[in-house]
Amino acid sequence: MPLLRRPPKLGLVRDMGYAIGATDLGVRYDLRFTKKTTIRSSIGQMLGRGEVQQFWALRHLALHVRRGESLAVIGPNGAGKSTLLQVLAGIIRPSEGAVEVFGHVSGLLTLGAGFDKELTGRDNILLGGAFLGLDDAVTHELLPAIIDYAELGDFIDAPLRTYSSGMRARLGFAIATSVDPDILLLDEVLATGDANFREKSKARVIQIVSAAKAVVLVTHDMNWVTEYCNRAILIERGELIMEGEPADVVELHRAHTEEARARTVEEAQKAGLDPRIVRGR
Amino acid sequence: MRLVPFRPMSARSEVPAAFRNAAGNPGPVTLVRDGIADIRSRRRLVRYLVQADAHKRGADTLLGNIWWVLDPLLQMLVYVVFISIIVPRPQPDYPLFIFSAILPWKWFSASVTDATVSIVSHDQLIKQIQFPKIVLPVAATTAGIVSFAFGTVALGLLMLFFSDRITLWLLFIPVIAVVQFVFTLACSFLVAAGNVFFRDLGNVVGHLLRLWWFLSPGLYSLASLDDISFFKDHRVLTTFANANPFAILFEAYRSVIYGTATSPPSGPPNMQLLAILLVASTVFLAFTTMVFKRLEPNFAKVI
Repeated sequence: MPLLRRPPKLGLVRDMGYAIGATDLGVRYDLRFTKKTTIRSSIGQMLGRGEVQQFWALRHLALHVRRGESLAVIGPNGAGKSTLLQVLAGIIRPSEGAVEVFGHVSGLLTLGAGFDKELTGRDNILLGGAFLGLDDAVTHELLPAIIDYAELGDFIDAPLRTYSSGMRARLGFAIATSVDPDILLLDEVLATGDANFREKSKARVIQIVSAAKAVVLVTHDMNWVTEYCNRAILIERGELIMEGEPADVVELHRAHTEEARARTVEEAQKAGLDPRIVRGR
Repeated sequence: MRLVPFRPMSARSEVPAAFRNAAGNPGPVTLVRDGIADIRSRRRLVRYLVQADAHKRGADTLLGNIWWVLDPLLQMLVYVVFISIIVPRPQPDYPLFIFSAILPWKWFSASVTDATVSIVSHDQLIKQIQFPKIVLPVAATTAGIVSFAFGTVALGLLMLFFSDRITLWLLFIPVIAVVQFVFTLACSFLVAAGNVFFRDLGNVVGHLLRLWWFLSPGLYSLASLDDISFFKDHRVLTTFANANPFAILFEAYRSVIYGTATSPPSGPPNMQLLAILLVASTVFLAFTTMVFKRLEPNFAKVI
């Protein structure tokens, strides 16, 4: 056991109602490998050409989520929101700091990708269950409910490639939320499907939250944040900017977005350009 | 240290309460043990992936089955025509002679080729769900068994034409196949993990496989190398040729299927060499499992 090399334990106790705790979280990307690398380019690097660049997608981030809480993660594109969810889901191991998760995590971070386009919806549910690590009997038990919830009808026995993107997203959402997770991670999923399904998925998320289970949600839908989340955090450039009441955080995010827009316009004007003019042929 | 409390769920996920941090690099033994545990706990996922693969290739349709049986036979036909042109007097019963090598080689080359892309082709999933990535090359290698099984049907058909070579030693094929499977799996782990970091590995692997096939005694016998003067002058080459895992495997398959050129009925393979290869492959497999598990945490970032 690498006891000695562990950073100090977070000291969260489940009885206190914590679902997630993170201290000094940092995720570093080695840009050497994130570009599509080839053997040829690596040999070039080994010979000393090109320097190794590192990129901190997240740094010095601390957060905690209590059970029954619904935490919204907002911020501009590329702020590190999805990376945060990936760390919480255990997909990425943090380069710095630690995460403690009490309970079972479930979440399709970007829904609609499906599992295998050539297989039928039914086979995809079984395969999805196997990927999520569910018991075979459990998956078979959940099968009718998932099919019913995803509103796929006879399409369930057609290959996934024949599905519309909405159908795929519905199936993904149904699989992800069927697991009855302690902690649900959602990334931009509330905007999928028609108005009818949006209502349904909202109802499902509220149901999970109310069942004393935590939800961490990445979204650009500010109405959802203020309406349904207990708490929100704002992340910019990989750092935690603000944590607090959803309305306050959304307000700050709006202000920052406005500022950023104004800055772009100002810079463009300084350069003698009207931002409305797009150059091109 | 206090253990994290764990409450069983109605729908059990295998990712329990977790504590993840940046520190800590598990040792080689832990890595190998983790790899074995991953595969054991996700047996069903491997099965589904193999089924999905077979489904996609049409192995569950009648016409698809016919193609799977015909494929190795047609490949054999191509080589028989080709070799008959350039070599005046090939081995007796030459079709069976090379089929005993084509059959295992098709399994190996298809498995390694599929394993190369097994991780990168699931990039979306890897970024979305936490699951042991090691099941993907395992599934790619296991899926090869299906084509191998169909190949043995083709072998059965072919044996009808060379009925004087049929012996009970044919039943020994699965034992040799086990040795081959261990070796193939070890290679699969290496190329699957390597391709994540070097996307042009597939090109290299394709050419290496072709070279390996012609350097292995598939179209010719290992003994016939002694007739080549270049090999006579450089004995070290003969040593290398004999140490080639596929020299051992091809010779083993050939002795139970074909026998030798002079004595038609087939006989036992060289058990000692097979045993050595099995031990060496197991060690190699442990090594590549360790490499795979060590690299695995980086897949989601790089992919």
